[in-house]
Amino acid sequence: MSEIDSMIKVKNITKSYIKGSMITHVLCGITLFIEKGEYVAIMGTSGTGKSTLMNIIGCLDKPTSGQLELGGVDAYQLDDDAISALRNKSIGFVFQQFFFLERTTALDNVLLPLLYADTYPADAIPRAKQVLVNVGLEDRTKYLANELSGGQQQRVAIARALINDPDVILADEPTGNLDSESTAEVLKIFHRLHKEGRTIVVVTHDREVAGHAQRILELKDGQIKELDFSSKPKDSSDH
Amino acid sequence: MNRMVRVAKESIRMMKGNRLRVLIMALGVAVGVASLTMMICVSKGAYLEVMDIVNRQGQDLLQVRPGTDKHTGLPSGSREVVSLVEEDVEAILLHVGNIRAASPVKDRKEVEVKYGDKFTLSRIFGITPVWAEIRDFGPSKGEFISSEDLNFAARVCLIGQTVKKNLFGDTDPIGQTIRIKDVPFNVKGELEWKGISSAGRDRDDRIVIPISTYSKRLFREIKLNQIVITIGDTSHLDKTVEDVRAVLRKRHKLAEGEPDDFAMRTPQDLIDLAYGTTRSLINLLTGIAAVSLLVAGVVIVNIMLASVSARRAEIGIRRALGARKSDILRQFLMESLVISMLGGVLGTILGYGGSILLSSLQVTASVVTPLALVAAIITCSLIALVFGIFPARKAANQNPVDALRA
Repeated sequence: MSEIDSMIKVKNITKSYIKGSMITHVLCGITLFIEKGEYVAIMGTSGTGKSTLMNIIGCLDKPTSGQLELGGVDAYQLDDDAISALRNKSIGFVFQQFFFLERTTALDNVLLPLLYADTYPADAIPRAKQVLVNVGLEDRTKYLANELSGGQQQRVAIARALINDPDVILADEPTGNLDSESTAEVLKIFHRLHKEGRTIVVVTHDREVAGHAQRILELKDGQIKELDFSSKPKDSSDH
Repeated sequence: MNRMVRVAKESIRMMKGNRLRVLIMALGVAVGVASLTMMICVSKGAYLEVMDIVNRQGQDLLQVRPGTDKHTGLPSGSREVVSLVEEDVEAILLHVGNIRAASPVKDRKEVEVKYGDKFTLSRIFGITPVWAEIRDFGPSKGEFISSEDLNFAARVCLIGQTVKKNLFGDTDPIGQTIRIKDVPFNVKGELEWKGISSAGRDRDDRIVIPISTYSKRLFREIKLNQIVITIGDTSHLDKTVEDVRAVLRKRHKLAEGEPDDFAMRTPQDLIDLAYGTTRSLINLLTGIAAVSLLVAGVVIVNIMLASVSARRAEIGIRRALGARKSDILRQFLMESLVISMLGGVLGTILGYGGSILLSSLQVTASVVTPLALVAAIITCSLIALVFGIFPARKAANQNPVDALRA
């Protein structure tokens, strides 16, 4: 891991919450570098601050202290509009709850990020249809949330994350609400995206999901540590 | 496609999925705008009616009547008061400048009039030849009362269109003899058609005769019911009114501090009188409009706030996908604006309908005026901004992480 070439540089980030007179330190000085094209899993039991870390990397949440560089840009020095633009251009989010907009077709869901792009591409709709083809939903473009299975909704969410051709895909428990079949489909898509050269960061508590990544990091007691490949489980029935 | 246009379109697309909520909010605005529209239409109608009265009566008409009404200061109905006599008219003409013409008027209602075996009750006016010019009430056929008729107390008359219809039907009345209180009068002409007065009286149910004939042949009395005066230069109306008052007070020997024993009515009094009848309706409609627009605003704030809470996840995902605070603000403001405008359109249609109904039921004069539409557009934009900004800001300032955790 070299600091110079890294696409994502997390430097000494801390995050504390104050509730009444209690201070909870969730992240206690995290430093990590993720290179372009890497497929990284961040593991940890629930409540360890995995989602907090991902939100900070995704510029959704501000750290208490520390620095985040995305593609050479010091993200938290930017104003809110610039951070919004950075999220729009450089980051593709996939969440556990899909966040499939209600009363909105799969196609319109996929088009959402383009709505907030600086310039709306002339080929927006063909592009959206193409990413839906890429996730195997070419015949579901006009479907609404209640007409799609959870797995299909999550694939639409992945298509939505891809439409703006982001530098990195951040997935927070992407398979947490899915059955094993849908989980396998989603993981297959991530695998293919990785092969295409995309940078993927998956946050999960599931060792099997993490096992598909190139590199596994474990978050524990506010600190991060690299798990070596030998500890990677060959099999798990833990889902 | 411009970013703002894209966000506006997205806002409308989201609203289509929630028609009931949109309708409820729009209805509140519609009620307010309907009242506002009706208020404006009724005001405009009243204004036109008043101007019509003033134009019909003349901007330069000054009426003096005997007695005063203690409460309103307007002429009392008391016909028994003897305070104005023909000498008063002569004094006014002699001592007050800026007067073009003045005529004494005596009149009596429900006097028997006969022609052959036909019978009617009509109002008889004793006047001088200048009366026709002062009241703009001349003959449509035949000739008006002349100075000679006045000097010789000739038994001649002109009849109004209602009298003509009642006594003659389609026959030509000119040259015929009618009997007023059994005194024969030669019909010299027909008065032009005037219609119903603002007080609801039939202005065509009248007969005019020389005032000298009125006193000598019909009713032996010296009191005048009215003096009508045409003022020369209306820009000096107030001064002229004061001069007439001074001359009359002097002639009537009224001591200082004693009230006038006559009342004067200017075109402005007419305007006030005519407005008085619609003012209470206008006030009521203004009140309803103000209250319902305020209620509509509060409804918008409430429902929009509830909507913002219910749509936290939507706001969160939009922010995560790159929406700026200003995009979210615009999306929700656009919603308020569209809802408000929808209510405005609905309210304007209702209000125009209501105002047409009011005038067709003859409740009050009401005119469909584009001014109401302009007022509706401005009001709705203001409501959307004033009441929509708070929920929209709340939506825009929501922390994306909190919004997504929901």
